[in-house]
Amino acid sequence: MRSDMSTTFRTTTRVRAVVAATVVCGLLLAALARPAPLGAAEEAHPVYIGARQCATCHQGEGMGHQFARWLLSKHSAAYAALAKPESQEIARLSGIPREPQEAAMCLGCHATGVQVEAWERDETFVTEDGVQCEKCHGPGSEYANAEIMVNRKLSERAGLMIPVMNDCMGCHNVKGSHVAVLKTPKLDMDQAWEQLKHPTPDPWKTGEGPELPKPAEDTTQAKYTGSVACGQCHKGPMMGYQFGKWRMSKHASAYAVLASPEGYALAKEAGVEGDPRLSPDCLKCHTAAYHDPAGGFGKRFALDEGVGCEACHGAGSEYSHEAVMRDPPAARSAGLKQVARETCLGCHQNAHDKPFDYEQALAKIAHPKQTPAVAEAPCYKTPLHMALSPDAKELYVACEAAHTVIVVDVAARRKVAEIPAGHHPTDVTFSPDGTRAYVSNRLDDTVSVIHVAARKVLATIAVGDEPHGVLTDPAGTVLYVLNTSSDDISVIDTASLQEIKRLSAGRSPWSLALSPDGAQIFATNNLSQFVEFRTPSQSEITVIDTARLVVADRLVVPAANLLQGIAWHPGGEFALITLNRTKNLVPMTRLMQGWTITNGMGVVWRDGRVAQVLLDEPNLCFPDPTDVAVSPDGRLALVTSSGSDRVAVVDLSKLIAMLGAASDYDREHVFPNHMGKPTEFVIAHIPVRQSPRGVLITPDGKSAFVANALDDSLSVIDLESLAVVDRVDLGGPKEITKTRYGERLFHSADITFHRQFSCHSCHPDGHVDGITYDIEPDGIGISPVDNRTLRGILDTAPFKWEGTNPSLQRQCGPRLSVFFTRIQPFTPEQLSALDTYICTIPRPPNRYRPLGAELTDAQRRGRAMFNRTMANDGRVIPKDRRCVTCHFPPLYTDRSRRDVGTKMPLDRESEFDVPHLNNIYDSAPYLHNGIAETLEQIWTTFNPYDEHGVTNDMTKDQLNDLIEYLKTL
Amino acid sequence: MNVFATLLKGFAWGWAAIAPAAVGWAVETDTAGNNRQQQAAPATAAPPETATPPVAVEGLPYVYTNWKHLTVADGLPNDHVFAVKADGPKVWIGTEDGLACYDKRTGKIRSWREKDGLPWKVVSSFAVNKKTGELWVGLFGGGLARFSGGRFDHFHQLNSGLVNDVVYGVAVENDHVWAATTAGASRYNTVTGQWTIYTEKNSPMEEIWNYGVSYDAGKVYLGIWGSGVLEFDVATERWKDYLDPDGEMEIDLYRDDGIVHVITTGTSYVDGILWVSSYFGMCRYDGRHWRGYYAHETGLPSDFGNSVAGRGADEAWFATDKGLGVVTDFPTDTWVTYTMDPKKRTGRAVIRRGTDVLKTVEMPKSIPHNYALWVDFDGNDVWVGTSKGLGWAIGSDYYPGLKAN
Repeated sequence: MRSDMSTTFRTTTRVRAVVAATVVCGLLLAALARPAPLGAAEEAHPVYIGARQCATCHQGEGMGHQFARWLLSKHSAAYAALAKPESQEIARLSGIPREPQEAAMCLGCHATGVQVEAWERDETFVTEDGVQCEKCHGPGSEYANAEIMVNRKLSERAGLMIPVMNDCMGCHNVKGSHVAVLKTPKLDMDQAWEQLKHPTPDPWKTGEGPELPKPAEDTTQAKYTGSVACGQCHKGPMMGYQFGKWRMSKHASAYAVLASPEGYALAKEAGVEGDPRLSPDCLKCHTAAYHDPAGGFGKRFALDEGVGCEACHGAGSEYSHEAVMRDPPAARSAGLKQVARETCLGCHQNAHDKPFDYEQALAKIAHPKQTPAVAEAPCYKTPLHMALSPDAKELYVACEAAHTVIVVDVAARRKVAEIPAGHHPTDVTFSPDGTRAYVSNRLDDTVSVIHVAARKVLATIAVGDEPHGVLTDPAGTVLYVLNTSSDDISVIDTASLQEIKRLSAGRSPWSLALSPDGAQIFATNNLSQFVEFRTPSQSEITVIDTARLVVADRLVVPAANLLQGIAWHPGGEFALITLNRTKNLVPMTRLMQGWTITNGMGVVWRDGRVAQVLLDEPNLCFPDPTDVAVSPDGRLALVTSSGSDRVAVVDLSKLIAMLGAASDYDREHVFPNHMGKPTEFVIAHIPVRQSPRGVLITPDGKSAFVANALDDSLSVIDLESLAVVDRVDLGGPKEITKTRYGERLFHSADITFHRQFSCHSCHPDGHVDGITYDIEPDGIGISPVDNRTLRGILDTAPFKWEGTNPSLQRQCGPRLSVFFTRIQPFTPEQLSALDTYICTIPRPPNRYRPLGAELTDAQRRGRAMFNRTMANDGRVIPKDRRCVTCHFPPLYTDRSRRDVGTKMPLDRESEFDVPHLNNIYDSAPYLHNGIAETLEQIWTTFNPYDEHGVTNDMTKDQLNDLIEYLKTL
Repeated sequence: MNVFATLLKGFAWGWAAIAPAAVGWAVETDTAGNNRQQQAAPATAAPPETATPPVAVEGLPYVYTNWKHLTVADGLPNDHVFAVKADGPKVWIGTEDGLACYDKRTGKIRSWREKDGLPWKVVSSFAVNKKTGELWVGLFGGGLARFSGGRFDHFHQLNSGLVNDVVYGVAVENDHVWAATTAGASRYNTVTGQWTIYTEKNSPMEEIWNYGVSYDAGKVYLGIWGSGVLEFDVATERWKDYLDPDGEMEIDLYRDDGIVHVITTGTSYVDGILWVSSYFGMCRYDGRHWRGYYAHETGLPSDFGNSVAGRGADEAWFATDKGLGVVTDFPTDTWVTYTMDPKKRTGRAVIRRGTDVLKTVEMPKSIPHNYALWVDFDGNDVWVGTSKGLGWAIGSDYYPGLKAN
């Protein structure tokens, strides 16, 4: 790292020196500079220098006004465009839960050098300049040298990239989100290419630009700081996106427009001959500095910003400090000017014989700090799981969409408080003494510690990836947190609130329950363990020894997945779990043994035996069993079906008797698939509201609460009559938006044959179930495909591994009905709502590299491997065998189909969709058929001929580095 | 492809490396015979100039006389015991053909072969993560396995960042697991999943054939064939190398000037003392002074050390090809040498101070075989892996140092 940095600083200094020399002395002097060594681009570490450094040569008539043309282009305002309300809407549609100007996904196409580290941007580089020269031509520090630039070969070896039209498609491929909001047609690339062309004239002459005006003689006068400096405070939502508004205004292009044909024409009319940019008369109204001479210029000020903030508000060096600006009288006395009619008339009155209406103009450029109030999307609650306080008086409900915990008075059955927590609260538990509640925040990777009496969060604990289930030990000294994405369990000391150890779980640990004697905790795991290709799932119950705080055992649940809910029987002999039995190995045409996915539950005996039974009955399936609770007397179990909005009531004495009377063979081989058996132990189905998730029975055994996730309510069930007797309204909006409607459709099994499964069944919470399916109706297992995440997929079309579905509408419409649902497809209205919802499923923040964070040494080396153009032996890697060619940022897919040599005997095609790589670490297994359990295997095992990138020359440490980098994308 | 090439190279070197052990098993009688002759030799050896001068010392060290043997007959999957690790009531046993666990409470042995889920049959080393209870298993030719709650997780060079599948040693350092392999050392962060490889590229590793790894008190020590000992400071992530000042010669020109030889096989860092075994003698380092040990001047039965286990600053056990050499009291240079008579199957312990034999203790049983590969401590007891089963030295009345008779 140290050597890298020093090289960079040297390089940057050298470039600046050379650029300066070029400006002052022209090509002759520059030609004396020491030539860069051949191959320096491979050794050096180029940094971004910014468009203005390019402009030192590429401006003026002699260079075809290339810089001015860029200033007038949409590229230069691309960053500013992210301040538009439309950008907010696109981000929302795309499941990007943050400001577009702060989102890597948005900045990836709307700015330059986003993925690099801070030290890779020279101090001359300005992110707010949007899509700059180096976005297409590569970071310029190594080639932005007049001597190198005159030689194309040298330039390219020094890192200059000459883009072809296809390179633009990484950003300009049709994006569903943008089309939906902007209603723009597909970009005509030929036309755009023509517009973007900026050929260098022949003969050419570099660097004709105006000098800064001579500063005022009074050296105490304020200096110009430049609008970019103002923008540091005035660009965000809290300041009404003022910088962005200016940047998209004509004021910001006032300088550049002088170089346009119209500028030339108007100048000529005014008696100015030649380049108007060089005319002080023109610059007087087209730049701030010529308009009102100041005491000098800050290093970030540039004439080319045109009519910047300071043109109206005065040179800012004295008032622009935040402390001064927060004190209006002080700011005024420091030089901040009040803008009045006269301010504008100085330039606009009779300018070029154009009429000027001050009021209209003022309205046009208005940039109040407060943006106009806009109707915000309704904020739903989405209750998922609940916990009862030890005194049984209050119920805490983790509400995913509201980012809160809602407190319900159990006796009164009404909401009494709502406590803000982190993002996406998922589960909640109380300390045994009832003074604290712990809430898992799935999107934040944290646990909120709530002070129950004060009803506020008193601390936040960092845990593993996507925490789900939470529970303390009997003494309350240890908190267990199931990290569903990192496949482990954080063990927290509740006194210090520090994680003291991390236990290995199964895959995607989900819920946990303490045995009545307090000695053991059973934890379910949502995903199957990795199994051999095309073999049945094997899921795990992780058993924790609460005395030793270690994993004591791992119980195997064969042929099952999506183990979610769990509850112990009060007798302590067994626990109950919910499960699915996904028939992913046989074609989805098989009706025998329960169609595609059967839904059931398991009896997990204390000695480790597991018996499985179905809850599906012929013509009455029980889709997505999600949670289970056992009555205090051990007589009944309640199981929620989030896909059918029902609760099943299981008579446990009948269930246990049935299992006890059966032979081992029946228990192992018949009952797990027998749809006729549930009628022997399911004594009732109780309808509840949309998408019931958590279920809880009060200690007196009289009633149960069910969290209806998509109804923002709790159903209260009377366990005597086995009927819903009340609905606790959690205060969600009454309006059902299109997105919410789509969410309900996604979680409902109404559309599928036998109403047996929902979209959520294979994409739990919009993610993956981690298994490979034989979806095609061929009946012989052709084209097995790995399930893919739905997180952040809107702009990753086409869909399907074979890339044959151009849109989500097609994927979720006809294709779904042909292969999955087998009854009537969604109506167009339903389909539209479903797709809208799917697009809003957020992609969690990357755990390996927050936006803007420095790379680790290994990640930095890995990035070099990702971008490399030469193999270890010096061979040039063909462009189509480089990682970055197909996996282009910010989506890290070029959205094409490629043959990377992964076709296998069962595959019909050899070309597969290039998958996006964002958060690639959380969606194993990999490749189209899920045959690679780890990222390493993609290249160590399934790339023998370098068809999936040139990787076989890599040493093991280089491959490790590459993988560390991939995890940051 | 380099990855494959590395794999093949690893196997080639790996099997070559284990060859001495195979020879040891094949010539059991001869080896033992030589051993006995050699043990008689030190009486004639001149005391080294810098050795502890003879002083009148009262007391003798503890001698283990109560031994039990565990072999295939008792349920071990194989008698070639490469590694042993005591963890509470359980004793993990790594053999040439499977993993075994001896439960001291029940006296029963449970074993795992490949058919039982063990990812690879040759178990070469162990480490227990005390925090999580996980057992990390080094697999000679098969990579690394985590055994937790009855589940094996297999990490190898094709599915993980492990540098090579020929794993000789494994150690747990905080949330990391280290693997000493024939192609460098790997460090695995069990929380983030990151693998880091250490070879000649990024450490002072002159050779990359790592034999042993150990961790204690913020320091990781690698014993490397041809590269001496490397010390990794966890806090600073900096390396320090310990090489033989005499170069690669098999003689010690200037004694106690550094590590005795660069072909090291094991390290053990305890109480601030680094103990090292090599194929040409053993040594002790207190951070300032080195002390070399050779068979001709100590109680070491042989200079061919397979491994070392330090019990404290003053006591260390060396597993050699001709028996166990135990320095029981460093200040007085007092040793106990454990061997077995291959014909009578009886055991013998010889107590020495320097070259002086203080006492010889005959016993019905000692180590199961003179080709000793591994030592682990279990409270007062000691477990010894040999090429003919596992030895369990029961020391209910064990005491460190010396005691008056």
